Amino acid sequence: MLLALTDIQKRYGGVTALRSANLSVAAGEVHLLLGENGAGKSTLMKIVAGLVEPDGGTMLWNGSPVQLKTPADAARIGVAMVHQESLLAPQLSVAENIFLGREERHPLGWIARRRAVEQAARLIEQHHFPLQAEWRVEKLSPAGKQLVEICRAIQHGSSLLIFDEPTSSLSGAETEEVFRIVRTLRERKMGVIYITHRLEELRAIGDRVTILRDGATVHTGPLQELTTAQIISYMVGRQMAATYSRDAHKPGAPMLEATGLHVKGKLHNVSLTLRAGEITGMAGLMGAGRTELCRALFGVDALESGTIRIAGKPVRITCPRAAVKAGIALVTEDRQVTGLALPLPISVNITLANTEAISTAGFLHLRRQNEIGAEYISRLRIKAQGPKQPAGRLSGGNQQKVVIAKWLFREPRVFLFDEPTRGIDVGAKVEVFDFMHELAGRGAAVLMVSSEIPELLQVADRILVMCQGRIAGELPGRTTAEEIMSLATRSNSQTETVA
Amino acid sequence: MKRLQRLLPFLSLITLFIALVIASPHFLTATNLSSVVRQTAVINIMALGMTVIIISGGIDLSVGSILGLGGLTGAMAMERGVPIVPAVFIGILTGFACGFLNGFLITRLKIAPFIVTLGTLGIYRGTALIISNGLPVHKLPPAFSILGEGGIFGVPYVLLLLIVCAIAVHILLEHTRLGRYAFAIGSSPAAAAYAGIPVAFHTTAVYSIGGLLTGLAGMIEASRLMTGQPTAGQGYELQAIAAVVIGGGSLRGGEGSVVGTLVGAFIMGLLSNGSDLLGISNYVQQVVIGAVIILAVAVDELRKRRVV
Repeated sequence: MLLALTDIQKRYGGVTALRSANLSVAAGEVHLLLGENGAGKSTLMKIVAGLVEPDGGTMLWNGSPVQLKTPADAARIGVAMVHQESLLAPQLSVAENIFLGREERHPLGWIARRRAVEQAARLIEQHHFPLQAEWRVEKLSPAGKQLVEICRAIQHGSSLLIFDEPTSSLSGAETEEVFRIVRTLRERKMGVIYITHRLEELRAIGDRVTILRDGATVHTGPLQELTTAQIISYMVGRQMAATYSRDAHKPGAPMLEATGLHVKGKLHNVSLTLRAGEITGMAGLMGAGRTELCRALFGVDALESGTIRIAGKPVRITCPRAAVKAGIALVTEDRQVTGLALPLPISVNITLANTEAISTAGFLHLRRQNEIGAEYISRLRIKAQGPKQPAGRLSGGNQQKVVIAKWLFREPRVFLFDEPTRGIDVGAKVEVFDFMHELAGRGAAVLMVSSEIPELLQVADRILVMCQGRIAGELPGRTTAEEIMSLATRSNSQTETVA
Repeated sequence: MKRLQRLLPFLSLITLFIALVIASPHFLTATNLSSVVRQTAVINIMALGMTVIIISGGIDLSVGSILGLGGLTGAMAMERGVPIVPAVFIGILTGFACGFLNGFLITRLKIAPFIVTLGTLGIYRGTALIISNGLPVHKLPPAFSILGEGGIFGVPYVLLLLIVCAIAVHILLEHTRLGRYAFAIGSSPAAAAYAGIPVAFHTTAVYSIGGLLTGLAGMIEASRLMTGQPTAGQGYELQAIAAVVIGGGSLRGGEGSVVGTLVGAFIMGLLSNGSDLLGISNYVQQVVIGAVIILAVAVDELRKRRVV
């Protein structure tokens, strides 16, 4: 065995993150690590990567015991990690990040910059990544940043690679590319630990699985011996439907009408209508302009031209505040930055967009605030110690629920969800879909941007497809993945003639 | 363990107090303690404003200059025959205006608070020197000294003023939307903006409040010295920031409290008073203050690293 972890334990203050975790990975296998958010996957991987020291248990590397006190220790023995949240230096270029900490030097001691750029460019080209070696990392999307992390890990020639949800922000084509890379790594006899929430991915990539629940390993074994339903029941500890069935909604009056939206270099003549009581899906590849459309509708990016009407009335949306006042809510792709004030209590986060409702003449009713916090915690089944717990202490799925609760408390008429299921577990995904249906049922207009086509097919009443900053077409809710992909990947020449 | 660390500033204050009782026979006397309170009140009131600013993720390096300019304008008004109470308000308003300008520049020009207030540190000090020709204002009505030196039943007025300000700022931070937004903006400016909070307005308000409190501190300082000194308050920004940081405020924003700041300011006050009593020079005091700031931040960072 390349790596063998036995009975690993870890406590954070009064909270037990790991009770008894076991995991063994052989060279040349792709080992899937599964579990709901909060099951302890991240903590276990932090231990392997030397970011966290365990309180108990043994760790064998190639058969001999090791203690990893720092990430540098882990790197030295050959462990590398592709992080879910980017750990890159944003002001540096792609090439500089790939070689960060291992810069090649000229004989005189300065950094061999040109050679690094060349090598990075070669690596990027080999894998057909949509990147350029000279680009500054801060300008990249979350997906682009992840690709840089993958490049970095490959370049450093590690013998065990940990992928923490590498595809959660990638499009279909890019996901295929990641799979291809992972398979190459396996052929090179490297060990791969692969964390994912996308159950449809498992079969395409995995050899063996280890499933964690509540900080302990509940199952480990070859993937072929398990059905998807069995995997889910191990993860959640109960039986649950693997897929989500929807009721069709009856669309009502147009709630949001956008006409001819232009944002320089990002959106070209985009028009769309969101109706009350309807979930409109939005598909497209990474960089197709879906997030940009949400940002424009929410007033984050300034429109060059175009009009927006809410419930028939023209509105000028120049900043998020104007959007919120007009009745629009945006559940963003990166909840840790734009969705939550992480150090502040859950109840404060939930009431943040609607402090009018809990204050008189500028003075807050703190008791009312905590009551509301407690109410939404139970209503959305948020796993928390109480309304006063900082939002940053929650798992990804529960954080997402806090963001949703914040908007539910505001009661907007238009809900924009940008990748609402990114990085959250199966159980929480189903609950998020439930909330979206509830909202539509109560007469809100819902836009659901997602890179996960199966989810769109399950949830959306109709699906808009974006491609290169334009709406490429509209499909009914019961369409197929193939039709969506053919619109999303419409060739360059066609769109250029349209322009 | 965590609670112990939160209590650390408070325990330090008590330890320091006991140490001084033992070290110097002159420490535990009514005269000396009342002088500590009077000395500390000026820094303390400034530090309350700084607490709000630091919680919102900002910093104000110009408070020393605002204190000088505020005290000076109030004193000049009195010299020209304006009655004491309106003149005090002129000083406070000057501070408010300076803080407002800081906030305005930070939010409109979108420049880092550190740079803006470094600039206005020079601008406000220069303005004070220009309008006074660099000379102190001495001709103040004798009754003005009551503000800084007076008291009732042996309790200095400045202590009462400090208590009123502390309660007001505490209510502001914990019980009003403005305070809530300050915490939110300091925790995550992007999340605050996405929640529809008018970030620019509240940031400006936060700096204006800081300026207002500093203007008041300037009038107290002028009353204690019975002069309007254009050079008053030089280097006070260091002490005000130190008080907030020692009291648990985080320069990354989103953290801080009135009680913490009060404890921090009294630690600074005792350090300074103790040094005087023990015959340690002013020069050494500056080194000690600087070291205490670094120590306080280091302890705080260690605490956070262990939790995360």
